[in-house]
Amino acid sequence: MARTFYPLERFAPAPTAFHLLPFRFTRLSGKELLVNEAGEFLFAPTGTVQSLTDEYLDTDSELYRDLKAKHFLYDASSSPLLDVLATKVRTKFDHITGGTKLHIFVVTLRCEHSCDYCQVSRQTATRGQFDMSTATADRAIAMMMDSPARAVTLEFQGGEPLLAFDVIQYIIPKAKKLALEKGKDLDIVVCTNLACVTDDILHYFRDEGVKVSTSLDGPAFLHNKNRPRPGNNSYEKAIEGIERSRTILGVESVAALMTTTAASLDHAVEIVDEYVRRDFHSIFLRPISPYGFAIKTRHRTGYEMGRFLEFYRQGLAHILKVNRNGYRIAEVYTQILLTKILTPHGTRYVDMQSPAGEAWSVLVYNYDGDVYASDESRMLAEMNDRTFRLGNVHKDTRRTLFTGDPALQMFQASCNQALAGCSDCAFQSYCAADPVYHYATQGDMYGNRPTSGFCTRNMDVIKQLFSIIEESDRETMRILWSWVTGEPTIREVVECV
Amino acid sequence: MDQPHDAAGPGVQQVMVEINLAVISTEALLKTCHWFSRDFVCEVRNRSDQIAYVVLTPRGSASASDHSSARDAFITSAMDFALREKIDAKTSGIRDILLAKAFSESGVLEDAPEGVFGDTVEETKPDGMFKILSNPQR
Repeated sequence: MARTFYPLERFAPAPTAFHLLPFRFTRLSGKELLVNEAGEFLFAPTGTVQSLTDEYLDTDSELYRDLKAKHFLYDASSSPLLDVLATKVRTKFDHITGGTKLHIFVVTLRCEHSCDYCQVSRQTATRGQFDMSTATADRAIAMMMDSPARAVTLEFQGGEPLLAFDVIQYIIPKAKKLALEKGKDLDIVVCTNLACVTDDILHYFRDEGVKVSTSLDGPAFLHNKNRPRPGNNSYEKAIEGIERSRTILGVESVAALMTTTAASLDHAVEIVDEYVRRDFHSIFLRPISPYGFAIKTRHRTGYEMGRFLEFYRQGLAHILKVNRNGYRIAEVYTQILLTKILTPHGTRYVDMQSPAGEAWSVLVYNYDGDVYASDESRMLAEMNDRTFRLGNVHKDTRRTLFTGDPALQMFQASCNQALAGCSDCAFQSYCAADPVYHYATQGDMYGNRPTSGFCTRNMDVIKQLFSIIEESDRETMRILWSWVTGEPTIREVVECV
Repeated sequence: MDQPHDAAGPGVQQVMVEINLAVISTEALLKTCHWFSRDFVCEVRNRSDQIAYVVLTPRGSASASDHSSARDAFITSAMDFALREKIDAKTSGIRDILLAKAFSESGVLEDAPEGVFGDTVEETKPDGMFKILSNPQR
């Protein structure tokens, strides 16, 4: 006997009315790209947005179901899911909860390198008056631990911080003791060129659980050109330091960053290959920061954003090729943006947050006790512009730092949701404000987006990534997802088996 | 409707775009001009309450095809900003509720937002989720 079923309408009557939920849109790859408040997106046929605003849409269509599932509209059956959307929005903005997490201690301005593009106004290696005093260190530690964040990161920078290793040795036990008393998790990182690292220093770092972040700009000819030092052997020192650090601290405790100078632009492939040769599994294709010495020397190191974007395109294409050939290496900027695009989460990367990460997510304690909203803010100060100097550890408290005029002026320009050019942008959820960058490059914290290098870069890169997503090549998407999740690709799993 | 002319002087080709303000609001027009200001000087002239002219003068050298594509791009962009205004008009209320709900429950807001967390569809249903979604403090 044949089994009969009720018609589908009995179980799921078609909705007769729907309401729009807030979203932004742009046109890309011959389609309309819709993005909602939580950063969820949908490629839809041209004309979809007009149909939505006219509330004229086939409620039986697959497109309608997709729009409903992705929270671009709601009807009687999906209305309670607004709570879910609110939760997703909250998750996307998780970075604004908890207080400042990254605390950068500039323990010295001394450095034995003389890089043209250095963001810091370095001093010669023998001038000890540019080291952080113990009194300043004590106050900075106390201020760091006043942050409501449950987990904080203490990052040592310079100059070259290893030239003030005694200051580092003073700070670490004090910070650990106070973290224990306050019930906070404490991560410690040293940003160093590794030129003057010794086994004793590395053993100390191993015993104290300190991680190392170093600089590697590419192959020897490029690294040594970018980073001159006596002996012209910065590259050789860096490579030797990386290997010793890995041996003593473990591979996972050593990371490298590169900076793209004008000399780098024609060598994207060689730079990526250098990272592969040195067995790194991530590379951050970073443009030069328009601060500090980079402003003074921009005729030698600077370039137009368009040239950087071409470099980025070449670099990303080669990184994907390397991954397809079986070596796993992620491009960090892509990883950050894809995490925002493909997952409910935001980012801890302070340069890509809205409200901007300056002060909210990072504070910089200079050797002299001055507190800045970010590393870039301190670099501006080294050029005699103290706009983003929030206060001094000897005179201020965390409350006065955050309620003073410099902080409040900056905060007003910190939300891209309220900035001209950003408020309507489809990529708002994935992008940021960065008032310090715009002040440094345009003389205005709010910035002019049509001429902003920050906007040009992010708009271009995000469009590239959406084009890749829309093309939906299985192998490429598998690689990109592995960067986002940290999970190995299927190919890697198969090869391990 | 629109045509290149050389009022800016010999060799400088301008594009004039006619805009019906009943279709594209002044705000949408100005937002379009904002984005075009990188490549063009955008001069807005009102002919009447309903009609505005936008004169686009290229900041650099531009070919005749650039002029044509600039005109098309300007109109497309202006229409998109008009669409965005429609979306905003239909969704700004629920957007406020959504953000208030998202951030009040995360402890970011010092004060609970005014009003209730519901929506018109649920309100009309006697057994709807509106009561559950309502702010219990109100």
